Order: sequence, then C-alpha cells, then structure tokens
Amino acid sequence: MKEAKKNGLRLFKSATLVAAIFASNITQAEMFNTGKVLATGGVSMIDGAGGGGITPWATITGYATRDGINGNLHYTYAPLANYTLHSIGAAVGFWDRFELSYTKSSLTTGSTFDTLGLVFDTVGGLTDETAGIPVSTGIEPFNTTIEMDIVGAKVRVFGEAIYDSDNLIPQVAIGGFYKNNKNDELLTTLKAAKTKDWEAYIAATKIFFPINTLVNITARYSAANQTGLTGFGGPDGDDKEIRPEISLAYLLRKDTVIGVEWAKHGDNVNGQSVDVADIDLTGLQPTLGTLGLGNLAGTLTQNESDWFDAFVAYFPNKNLSMTFAYAMLGDITITPDQHGFYLSLQASF
Amino acid sequence: MKPIFRTIAIAILAGTAALPSFAQTGKTPTLPALDDDALEQWGGEEGVRNWVESLFYYIMLDNRINHIFREFGNIERQIFLNTQLEQLVLGGAVEYQGASMAAAHADLGITVTQFNAVVEAAYNACERINVTYEACNQLIAALAPYERVIVTR
Repeated sequence: MKEAKKNGLRLFKSATLVAAIFASNITQAEMFNTGKVLATGGVSMIDGAGGGGITPWATITGYATRDGINGNLHYTYAPLANYTLHSIGAAVGFWDRFELSYTKSSLTTGSTFDTLGLVFDTVGGLTDETAGIPVSTGIEPFNTTIEMDIVGAKVRVFGEAIYDSDNLIPQVAIGGFYKNNKNDELLTTLKAAKTKDWEAYIAATKIFFPINTLVNITARYSAANQTGLTGFGGPDGDDKEIRPEISLAYLLRKDTVIGVEWAKHGDNVNGQSVDVADIDLTGLQPTLGTLGLGNLAGTLTQNESDWFDAFVAYFPNKNLSMTFAYAMLGDITITPDQHGFYLSLQASF
Repeated sequence: MKPIFRTIAIAILAGTAALPSFAQTGKTPTLPALDDDALEQWGGEEGVRNWVESLFYYIMLDNRINHIFREFGNIERQIFLNTQLEQLVLGGAVEYQGASMAAAHADLGITVTQFNAVVEAAYNACERINVTYEACNQLIAALAPYERVIVTR
C-alpha cells in the first residue's frame, strides 16, 4: 500500500515534470513567430536597425507579430570609389514592439589616405624636427581601415503602418544607436571631436496601399560625420542637431519593392583640412610646394554631402531578402564623388 | 492652430471615431481614396467571386488558419457573403446580408498572426486569378481597417 502510494507519487512527479517540459516547449514554439506578411519586416539599414538602406523606419525588424519574437542576420557590402563598407550584424524584434541590434562596420579606405600616408612619411622627419614629438596620424601608408561597433534599440510607440488605411496616422517609433569608432588616431587627424557617441531618432512609417507606396520620415538627432565612420563633431564642438531622412518606396509586387532615400548629413568638418599633431596642414602646404607636391593642397580639404540612394529590394521568402542599391554619398573626407553599388543581404530565422 | 492643420486633425479624428460604423455600408473611405474603377479592375462581381473562391481554397490549405474557418461552418455561405462584402467595399452597389465584421469575429479570438495568414492567402488568390498586384492592393486597402475589429487577441 505504502509502495503503491510511493509509486503513485513518483508517477505524479514525473507526470508533472513531463507536463512542465511540454508546457515549456509550447512556450518556446509560441514565442518564435514569423507571422508578418512577406516584406513587411523591412530590411536592415547600415546601422543595423530595421528600415531601408540608410534610414531607420518605425517598423520593428523581423517577421514576428505582437505574438512573438523573431531575429535576423545581415551583411551589407558597399564598394565605393575610394572606400569599401562591410557591415555585419544581428537584430531581434520582440512582439512587434521592441527591437535590439548589434552591427560591426568596417570601412576600408583603399587608396584614400595612401597619398597622405606617404606625404607624412616624406615630411615626417621635418614635422618631428618642428614639433619635437613623434606624430601618430592613424594613417598607415597603405590600407587604413576604420572599424565601428553599433548597438541599437528601438521601441514602437503608436500607430499601425500597414492596416490603418482609413486614416493618416503613421506608425511611430523612437530609437537610438550607440556607436564606438575604433580608429581614434585617424579620427583625430580628421578633426572629429569624439570617437564614441549616441544618436537618437524618431521615425514615422505608413503604407498607402491604394497607391502601392510606403513613406517613411525620420528625424535623427546626431553629431555624426558620415554616420560616425569618420567620428562625431568637429573643431566647433560636438553639439548634436536634428537631421531629416526620407524613404519613399513603391511596392512593385508582394515580394519586390523599389525606392529612393535621402539622408541629411552634417557639416562639422566641412572645409577643414586634416590635422597632424595639432599642426594644421594648410600651413604645411607651402612646404608641400617646396617639396614639389603643391598639387596636393586641394586634396587635403574635407567635405561631407547628404546621402542618396536608389534601391530595389527582393524578398524571395521570409528567410531571405536582397537589397541592391546605387548609393550616392558625395564627398567623404578628402575624396569627392563617392558613388557606387550597394548590396545588403538579410537572413531571418 | 492654422486652418489646414485643423482640417487635417479633424479629418484624422473623424476617421478614427467613425471606425467600425462605416463597416459594410459602402466603399471603404481609404486615404488616399480607392480608384473610381476599383471594382472594374477586378472584373466586377464574377471577378470578385473567383477571388473569394480562390481565397478559401488557399485558406483551407493553410494549417495555421483552416480550422477557424472550418469550425465557423458553411464555407459556401461564407463565400457567398464575402463576395457581397468585397464588392461593397470596392464601391459596388450591392447589399451585404451578413453580420458586421466585429460581430462575426467577436468570439473567435483571432490573432494578428492568423489575420496576416489570411492576407497572404489573399495575395495568393490574386495571383491565382491574375488580378494585377495594383488592383489587389485596392482590395487589401479596402479590407485592412477590419483588422482592428477582427483581431481581438
């Protein structure tokens, strides 16, 4: 009798355990969700947030509805005239409400700073004599690379981007990035005030099905130079400013979207030359002249342009999206006309 | 407040306040408005019925949602009523004899995931009957506001 009771208890215990495991499996199955309609999760923008190519949108990344969680990995490759951007990261969307992202960007600067690097090597002895200190510019004679880590978060505040076709209220989200640029020395040379900084944004997104169009307007509060790839702020300080960004997308098919984007950029270092150990290189230009390098003078001036792109995004299924774009990024540091193709892949799981 | 902003604000408020009441009384007042010839793009009543039949074909093949429609019962009647409703919201001069979308779905506990599954079936049905994607989006826009009353969980 006692034995039976014990067995009964044991049976009850194991039944409870099985039930608990079963229940937790159900919970896991219910947590994972891919219930959004194809393409409505958007793609991954270069900072890693859900959105377009260069602009974060109010949509929460991934295919989870408010019933669950879904994430993705993304890789972006943009070979420009003088730079190549590789951006790789992961993002998770929670209950169509909250989003977290991490992205590692690497900007190889190709031949951009080779000339400068060689000039510094050439005049290095001279500069050392003048300043009496070793000069560290962060510029290698060849293949200077800028690396930046970006952590992002976004929360959907109100609105429904897709289904509220009978009013004009957009879906609105607020978000932010923390960006940590690793090439401190080069950023000093480029006269950026900071190498680490945060940005905040508010985004409004709405799909207008009667005209097959998606509109997104974002205001980003930022001091970034080239999204932070060349630092934050300039000689006049690191004050942030509000910069508008717009994405317009036309829905061609349920799995294909084309569009254009514009992002306002700052002018923190416009017209500035590069800076070596606090010696303004504009003052070095006569020296360059005497060295027979006078034609280099103009190439020392930095500028920054607004970014434009035109894209086509293709969503063969909910596990993969491919974005092809032509990016027109204008002046980047000392090199003009930085235009080129852009490829971004997103794998959702 | 400037008059233009007041007008926009009133329009937004009116649109929001009028929510479920516009249901099933006529063409859905989307912003921007549906095309005048939205129903013609669909091939009129016959085109709409073809789509509804295809819609239910895809719904009944989708294990995420077919049980809901099966339990609701009488698929033929659902197809009949949906054909009326879809013509109506596209601007057709027809009478809808069914219950309001809110009443019909009140006790079903539909999730947004399930609602989205029907939207995917809707796009598949458009492709099946060769309605253009643009025309398909006219109907998607016309039905989209029902999400607020159909999704209750």
